Amino acid sequence: MKRLVVIVYVGFLLAPFLHAQDSTPAPPPVEPQIPGQQPGPSRSSPPGQAVVPVPVPVAPPKPNGPVQKSLVRITATAVEPDYRAPWNAGGLQRGVGAGFVISGNRILTNAHVVANSRYLTVERDGDPNKYPATVQFIANDCDLAVITVPAPDFVKNMIPLKFGGIPALESTVSAYGYPIGGERMSVTTGIVSRVDFQLYSHSSIDQHLAIQISAQINPGNSGGPVMQDAKVVGVAFQGYSGDVAQGVAYMIPTPVIKRFLQDISNGHYDEYPDLAITYAKLQNPAQRRFLGLKDDDRGVLVSSVVAAGPSDGVLRQGDVLLAIDGHPIASDANVEVEGERAQFEEVVERKFKGDSVKFDILRDKQPMTVTIKLYKPWPYSVQGHSYDVRPRYVLYGGLLFQPLNLDTLEAYRLSDLRLRHFFEYFILDQIYLQHPDVIVLSNILPDPINTYLAPYRGGIVDEVNGKKIRTLGELADAFAQAPERLVIRMIGDGPPLVLDRNKVEAARERIKTRYNVAKEQNLQERPEAAESKQANKT
Amino acid sequence: MLRRSLIAFSIALVAVDATLAKKETAIPPAAAKQKQLALVRVNVTGQSYDYFRPWQKKAPFSKRALGAVLSKGRVLVTADLVGNQNYVELERAESGEKTAANVQVIDYEANLALLEPTEKAFLDGITPLEITPDTVVGDRLAAWQLEPTGALIATEGLVTTVQMMPYPIEVGQFLTYRVSIPMQYRENSYTVPLVKNNKLAGLLLRYDSRSQLLDAIPAPIITHFLKEAESQNYRGFPSAGFSFFPTRDPELRQFAAEKGKGGGVYVTNVEPGTPAMKAGLQVGDIVTGVGNNEIDQNGNYVDRLYGKIEFTNLLTAHAYAGDVVPFRIERNGKPMQLNVTLEHRDAKDYVSPPYNLDQPPRYFVLGGLIFQELSRQYLKEWGPNWQREAPQRLVYMDHFQSELFPQRTRRVVILSQVLPANSTIGYDDLAYLTVKKVNGKEITSLDQLAEAVKQPVEGGFIKIETEEDPKQIELDAAQVAAEAPALQENYGISSLQRLQ
Repeated sequence: MKRLVVIVYVGFLLAPFLHAQDSTPAPPPVEPQIPGQQPGPSRSSPPGQAVVPVPVPVAPPKPNGPVQKSLVRITATAVEPDYRAPWNAGGLQRGVGAGFVISGNRILTNAHVVANSRYLTVERDGDPNKYPATVQFIANDCDLAVITVPAPDFVKNMIPLKFGGIPALESTVSAYGYPIGGERMSVTTGIVSRVDFQLYSHSSIDQHLAIQISAQINPGNSGGPVMQDAKVVGVAFQGYSGDVAQGVAYMIPTPVIKRFLQDISNGHYDEYPDLAITYAKLQNPAQRRFLGLKDDDRGVLVSSVVAAGPSDGVLRQGDVLLAIDGHPIASDANVEVEGERAQFEEVVERKFKGDSVKFDILRDKQPMTVTIKLYKPWPYSVQGHSYDVRPRYVLYGGLLFQPLNLDTLEAYRLSDLRLRHFFEYFILDQIYLQHPDVIVLSNILPDPINTYLAPYRGGIVDEVNGKKIRTLGELADAFAQAPERLVIRMIGDGPPLVLDRNKVEAARERIKTRYNVAKEQNLQERPEAAESKQANKT
Repeated sequence: MLRRSLIAFSIALVAVDATLAKKETAIPPAAAKQKQLALVRVNVTGQSYDYFRPWQKKAPFSKRALGAVLSKGRVLVTADLVGNQNYVELERAESGEKTAANVQVIDYEANLALLEPTEKAFLDGITPLEITPDTVVGDRLAAWQLEPTGALIATEGLVTTVQMMPYPIEVGQFLTYRVSIPMQYRENSYTVPLVKNNKLAGLLLRYDSRSQLLDAIPAPIITHFLKEAESQNYRGFPSAGFSFFPTRDPELRQFAAEKGKGGGVYVTNVEPGTPAMKAGLQVGDIVTGVGNNEIDQNGNYVDRLYGKIEFTNLLTAHAYAGDVVPFRIERNGKPMQLNVTLEHRDAKDYVSPPYNLDQPPRYFVLGGLIFQELSRQYLKEWGPNWQREAPQRLVYMDHFQSELFPQRTRRVVILSQVLPANSTIGYDDLAYLTVKKVNGKEITSLDQLAEAVKQPVEGGFIKIETEEDPKQIELDAAQVAAEAPALQENYGISSLQRLQ
């Protein structure tokens, strides 16, 4: 399920648009690094919703057996892409998180522990060795990953953990991990406080079931098991920083974990599908009568259907959803699944790409049954964080063009009203249909050929020489096939940006040298699979 | 949520420094003769409309300020001071004698107003201030204020810049003096007169105590205001209705077929219905001259007094609504002349009016749903940081209104909030939605909405379609009508609608 609208900025007026490098030099290998801690709540605080929990970590005593025989400590060296100098490799970061051995000699951990990693090592209790590891599957949408250790003797004496179900409210659970980067296992206990849908802050766009527990969880607990009766009932993954709320931590419950493990059983991770609709509760009696509904507390109203999603052409605005796969949908959008009341999307949550979901609906007062074949609609990725990608950009005449997404928005701290609108309403206003890439002139590397162009910064490219530009690739093509004069129109009523191709060509090497630009464009987020994970050699 | 912008403009007195008196400058040597001071105190009680509860006014405020006494028994103050006033009182500085006053003319955009005592003889004995229009950079001006005793306090400052700047209402830009002056906070006042050689040179617009910089409404703007105020029909400062961009960039110049190093600005947008559009100005034209003045590549002309200053000053300070101003332009490299008949654009001629003062907001209550028209005055209810704190979609619509609503004659009707009631159960969380249709009819004003709700759709329902989710809301027309008295009673709504 997707969060509706992401609103990010905490409020920066003028973003430091200067060509400041964010990339940090490789930090000295000092140990107490924040383990696998990813986008903290400071990065995105949606309105209304308090603050996004920060990923945190966990450790325990004996009622759960010899957990240290299953627990591992993961040290990840990651390269964070530098969206402000996208031709650079980015800054090095190092973090520590936890993981645990599961069946098949695999190690389960959080995606945010290993995302963007270039080198991974794993340690275990009572063994002085650091074992290099590789990421086998990563699910950034539900913050889970499976890593493996090639060394054959690593799994010797390790005991794979088994999974339990959803623990009862108020029952006691224990969290295991390496909080604050310590080297010895730590255990904390707490009770199950709440079971509900939560925003997963790793992607900042996905919402899934999560369990709130009162155990102390801190950076370094991330990826560690939370146990009850010698079974894993969750993976510790996020919480609030102490000044927001205390004793509130979250774990990924086993339905989400089991779904992930099932998804990857065919050799690749397909991500969560999504209905890509918005709906409204049907609690108003007059509205119910208008729609021809009985007074039976059933049904929700379809408000929007995203054209890029699987419901397009099947559902439409004004339909009333009465049941999903036979489960009656209450007027507050809940269904009963396995004895638990949950939002009806929970039914979709448990499905996979290519699966179908059946709705009983009321359309124009006529009952109907429709079937939706599920997949993941692409536009949502723009509103969430991306990992293990190379930022896309085009540099032309010192002008840096980048697609608008959550990562660029945060990197530049963009607060421009128009850019914010294009970001927030990218899906709801179906902006992606006209602008699959919202291409922003994000920065200008000063050079004599662009001396007077500073006022254009922050503009959104609409067309080049009369041709609408929909994607970054089209922009790159327009530049590659430029006639003598390029006239770039931005959205809005500003002046055209005019470039002389010959002058731009003459300045190319000069700009590349002056600003140490290795490559003038990158149009692919994911390079060929082969070259990406080379770093892991022993 | 109260907007307290007023604080920003309120000011401050400064004790007379002993050293100050020695300097021979703008401070009148006659300071001792208080009786002759052309200053009166102005006491204002007012009430702003409450846009969150549009049927009522907010708690009364009072402000104390000074007014500059001008000829013909008029008192000049800022519009800020008397906007949304209920009662204005003048007070003689030396005697404390008081009388009520009326607002004769008010121009919110230029932030000026003229008061008139109800008692004609009230200002007798005061020699009115003359106006001196020739202040230039480097001049010294004295800010005149009053001690509680009625004695004059004068603080001297230096005019550092004369430039075009936005005024509080932020409709266009006006000529502004910037004065470096060390003032301190004192009880009164808005409206501090700035004086040169015993003549009025300007009126305080705002003061930043940290940088000790004061912005003043300059004499040329005051003169313009006074001159027009003498006519029967005050129209306000004119504008042409186009936006422009410098032509410094050689590539843009070439694109616009500009040769050589001549001046002129590139026209980026001509708003429909404006004087510029009527005169035939087009996007892509280069405006090279206005009247007899050449415009340079940055959009400045050379002013007799101030040197280079933006050419819009020629339209605001120098011209009046109705004036025909010749524009010299180049279109595709060919010189042309366009005669632009300037007009004042009223606040009501915007889709989202930039201000609405001294007039109650329009609204319509329907079974707990409150409908209003989008306006900047409404958005400003979110306080000084309204641009970030008000609902962003509405701020976006206000900011880009000319782009989003080129037809210009419409309003944007919003469902601003929902008061919980039986007829609106389940709708309680809805807010800030833009209304598209009601009972199938397109809605481009509150009046249309009021008409449309009278014709329920089949089954006696009122159907409201919104631009945003949930896209549709239905009410039972009979239930709404039956519940109306209870709703009014519950929430203290004096009237369920105001369309005037």
